[in-house]
Amino acid sequence: MKRKMQMALSLMLALTFVFVTACSTSNTDSGNGTTTPETTNAANEPPAEPMTIRFATGNNPNWDDMQSDIGKFIKEKTGITIKPEFPVGGSSDEMLALMVATDEYPDLVVPGSATNKMVDAGALLDLRPLIEEHAPNIKKVYGEYYNRLRWSKDDDAIYTLSLTGVDHTYFDSGSGFQLQHQVLEAAGYPEIKTVKDFEAAIKAYLEKNPTTEDGQPNIGLSLNGGEWQILISVTNPAFYATGAPDDGEFFINQETYDAIMHYQRPEEREYFRWLNHMNDIGLLDPESFIQKYDQYKAKIASGRVLGLIDQSWDYGQAENALKAEGKFGATYARFPVTLNETFQDHSFHGTGYLPALGIAITKDAQDPVRLIKFLDYLASDEGQVLLNWGIEGKHYNVVDGKRVIPADLLELKTNDNNTFVKTTGIGNYNISARYGDGVKDPSGNYYTTTFPEQIQAAYSEEDKKTLAAYGATTYKDLWPSDDAFPERKYGAAWTLPFDSTSEANVIFQKTQDIMKKRIPEAILAKPEDFDKVYDQFLKDLEDAGVAKMNAEFSKMVKDRVELWSK
Amino acid sequence: MKPLTEMTPEEGPTLKRNRFWFKAFQQRYLYMMSLPFVIWIFIFSYVPVWGWVTAFQNYKPKDTIFDQKWVGFSNFIELFQDERFYIVLRNTLAMSTMGLLVGFTVPVIFALLLNEMKGQFFKRSVQTISYLPHFVSWVVVSGLVYKMLSTDGGAVNQLLMWLNIIDQPIQFMAKGNLFWGIVTVSDLWKEMGWNSIIFLAAMAGIDPELYEASTVDGAGRFRKMWHITLPGIRTTFMVLFILSIGHLISIGFEKQFLLGNPLVSDYSEVFDLYALKYGIQMSRYSYGTAIGIFNSVVSILLVFIANGIYKRVTKETVI
Amino acid sequence: MQGVVQKNIGDKLFDLFIYIFMTMVAIVTLYPFLNVLAISFNDSVDTVRGGLTIYPREFTLRNYETIFGFEGLITGFKNTVIRTVAGTAIGVAAASMMAYTLSRPDFQGRRWMSVLFALTMYFSGGLIPGFLLMKYLGLIGTFSVYLVPALLSVWNVFVIRSYIDGLPFALQESAKIDGANDWTIFWKIILPLCQPVLATIALFIAVGHWNSWFDTYLFNNRNPENTTLQYELMKVLLSTQTGSNYRDPNAQQAMAAVSPESIKMAITIVVTVPILLVYPFLQKYFVKGMTLGAVKS
Repeated sequence: MKRKMQMALSLMLALTFVFVTACSTSNTDSGNGTTTPETTNAANEPPAEPMTIRFATGNNPNWDDMQSDIGKFIKEKTGITIKPEFPVGGSSDEMLALMVATDEYPDLVVPGSATNKMVDAGALLDLRPLIEEHAPNIKKVYGEYYNRLRWSKDDDAIYTLSLTGVDHTYFDSGSGFQLQHQVLEAAGYPEIKTVKDFEAAIKAYLEKNPTTEDGQPNIGLSLNGGEWQILISVTNPAFYATGAPDDGEFFINQETYDAIMHYQRPEEREYFRWLNHMNDIGLLDPESFIQKYDQYKAKIASGRVLGLIDQSWDYGQAENALKAEGKFGATYARFPVTLNETFQDHSFHGTGYLPALGIAITKDAQDPVRLIKFLDYLASDEGQVLLNWGIEGKHYNVVDGKRVIPADLLELKTNDNNTFVKTTGIGNYNISARYGDGVKDPSGNYYTTTFPEQIQAAYSEEDKKTLAAYGATTYKDLWPSDDAFPERKYGAAWTLPFDSTSEANVIFQKTQDIMKKRIPEAILAKPEDFDKVYDQFLKDLEDAGVAKMNAEFSKMVKDRVELWSK
Repeated sequence: MKPLTEMTPEEGPTLKRNRFWFKAFQQRYLYMMSLPFVIWIFIFSYVPVWGWVTAFQNYKPKDTIFDQKWVGFSNFIELFQDERFYIVLRNTLAMSTMGLLVGFTVPVIFALLLNEMKGQFFKRSVQTISYLPHFVSWVVVSGLVYKMLSTDGGAVNQLLMWLNIIDQPIQFMAKGNLFWGIVTVSDLWKEMGWNSIIFLAAMAGIDPELYEASTVDGAGRFRKMWHITLPGIRTTFMVLFILSIGHLISIGFEKQFLLGNPLVSDYSEVFDLYALKYGIQMSRYSYGTAIGIFNSVVSILLVFIANGIYKRVTKETVI
Repeated sequence: MQGVVQKNIGDKLFDLFIYIFMTMVAIVTLYPFLNVLAISFNDSVDTVRGGLTIYPREFTLRNYETIFGFEGLITGFKNTVIRTVAGTAIGVAAASMMAYTLSRPDFQGRRWMSVLFALTMYFSGGLIPGFLLMKYLGLIGTFSVYLVPALLSVWNVFVIRSYIDGLPFALQESAKIDGANDWTIFWKIILPLCQPVLATIALFIAVGHWNSWFDTYLFNNRNPENTTLQYELMKVLLSTQTGSNYRDPNAQQAMAAVSPESIKMAITIVVTVPILLVYPFLQKYFVKGMTLGAVKS
């Protein structure tokens, strides 16, 4: 025994040294191997010369390592190999902060909410001169919105190229209030315009059908309020239902551009009072604020939840499970529901082009000119068709002048999107300026692969039946049209982040903590206590310094209006 | 060697120094075995402490440490003025104390019982199984806890209803006063087996002759457990216990965060989550560092007080 | 006579109690793992319906096929094994040496070194200073970054020391009289006696190395040749979720495409099973124990 243990230990020690030395030598080798070609490429060589660029971006589990069809094509055409650095672990801010602290950057970054910090640190190049000289396509894509990329009133530079599609048209609505098709059918497709209509439909169905066919109790309305989606399922609907657009956690006066936290509006108090009422009469799932996301999804997938207030992408997985089981009656139709007839749903209140997440070239980039030319190629008509549709003859065919995706690929795309993305590369290289859905290229085809006919084709028979009953072809037809309201001059206020170290940002975080506690409390309170709790909520917000934050935000909105109207 | 009393005043210091070096030479192997690690820990643990000065600055990563704006104690003042800070401190201490008490006694009892088992196969199987939940993430465990305690067909409510103890399902997860208990029990469920391993190892090191001798003395099973096994693991237990007291304030936030929900947020939010939310996540590095310093100071005080008490009582020390 | 019979009955009852109690513990602690296993073999669309217990409802191997299709898995696995084996060897050797020196009551450095080491358990310089240190030491982008900063765990040092403190000191003294030097005492007497605690520490260190991914993220995210298994899988687990703004239409697509529950569970199984396989080899050292008498003689 003694000898054995000693043997084992000396073996372990010996191994250790072998490993340590082996690792350190192999590392120096590989280090040299990767750096040499990069440094030689920095010289002015013809563009087809291979170049590897480092690119820090959000995580993409379907990244194909340039091995997909499109990846190989791009590599061949431009000589550029992209080596992404995916930050893992929630936020990429940490990684970007480390880059700033060590003053070492990759060639390209998507700095997101850390843009401020990187601009501050002088890490990002001004792209304006590069674009003017080398990138006609990028400039063409942004068109009249080119100046919206400008950094600030005092700094004319363009630091990031927004990746949001330009002139994007929404063909369908994923938001609103949802009711099961079977509920609507049983009630004879009544008008669903106000929360009272919504409530009545649920109530009527629940009284007749307290349980499902297999004996489980039906649930009137369930909210996804136990996790961060409380914002989507509980608080954002408050402004949609009371005639305000989504401006983050704020309500912006469209004339004066003064901002207040949206909970401070009296109209929204009434919306939450309605939810309180729903709880009081037993239509609200008592577990609405104490369920995990998978419990919420499981309830929906069991077909027992008659009504939802959510976004389609949030309950989509559960709905897919229902479809897989053939329970189409328990899938959902979506409606723009408001507190009463005087309000209109502002989901599609126009914003103009909204520059959001963007790509930037850093000061450490080996060859900025070549990079901007590369991005310009991706933004060209040829490039955009390549990134969205793929390679002609392989991923799409042109039939009678129209681009068509072959049936087998289309099936792969719908049923196994991960494999589809990984093998074709479609969707993996959208890292430059591009058009949104609904924009047509010179050949008369759409740039993207999402268009109205396709959305209608994806509807189930139940969807079509319900839509026919309301005289609509898509759910979006039920909403006020895109031009029903004058365009917001500041875009959408959720694209305005507080400076992360400012006092307003701390106050904002505090108001969020208060909201997450008080809103559920108010909704679950006895109706006679509702006002007491809500008043306390408003007082807590005051105490946290909401007035100061509102003033700061108003100023930011006004600055944006000034910047963009120049 | 000359006895000390015979030293002349001039001779004293030199002799002392010589004796020190003589002894150091005698202990050269011990120095060779420890000094490399002293250097290592100095580099990897003490050198980065320069970062603490940022707590007195308004640190921005783009500049070096010398070009920052100095703000004195304002970060600490802000921390101590925040009401939320006191709530999270209370929650942290409540949950960590409960966790410490339950998380030490139960694994010891478990190890003790395991040690008493005779069938080797069964004993090993139970021991292996009991540590499996350690590898299951908190996301999964919290999901299971929620499902079990649900009012919508949760196992616990159904059992209580079936036993006629209650006639209405209880919303366990909505009750703030139950939250600390739920966290403690869930943690026990997940970590009991894992935490008992170290005690099993300590029991394995007890001299079997002690048991043999007491059998001869006619001692029963319980007397052996009480007089041999438990004292045998005392040192290990005390070391772990006192070192853990130092961690009372930094217990992570994962389990509390995942088990929490909006209705119990006043009971679920802990110090480490507060530090994350109001520090790093908002890129307030200086504030985050100030929180870290507070945390370290409290931890070190706690561990030294605990060690001091232990020393006074037993004349032993763990540090 | 009667007393003996009573004692036997009491003993038997106690044994019965232990067995019943242990069976219950086994059931309760096996459940979460079986649940994960069941979900990992279940069809991912069906999993959304919930209600899975310990067996899959719609059996499939597709979740595992998906995982084994990831790039970098082989390299990651290789690196993880290397760092676990090497890291455990180094970690056990380092901690036991340090623990032995600190356990020697006559050692000059004992007191100040104890305090010097103990303090480090309760503070850290923070993310940025730590990162800058690694940069200056040239460890970023190397494999050594997995081994050097994690060389020694102070916690383990104190655990081993407490174990050594529990050993009879007379053994060391008699060896000393026989002319053994400190290294020989450590190597020939202390280490063999420490088998149970060293096996335990080895387990702790191995699991720590096996599970860690954050250092890969911080220091090797741009060096695929140094990737680790956990990091590759973590990329799937933590894809997008937070950080991106859910109001951004681009982000919404990504959020809808978040990895299904079943894949996450399959990942849990893939990373857990190898470390479970090692377990029985370590377990024998601390469950059965070794006989001190055998060493003495």
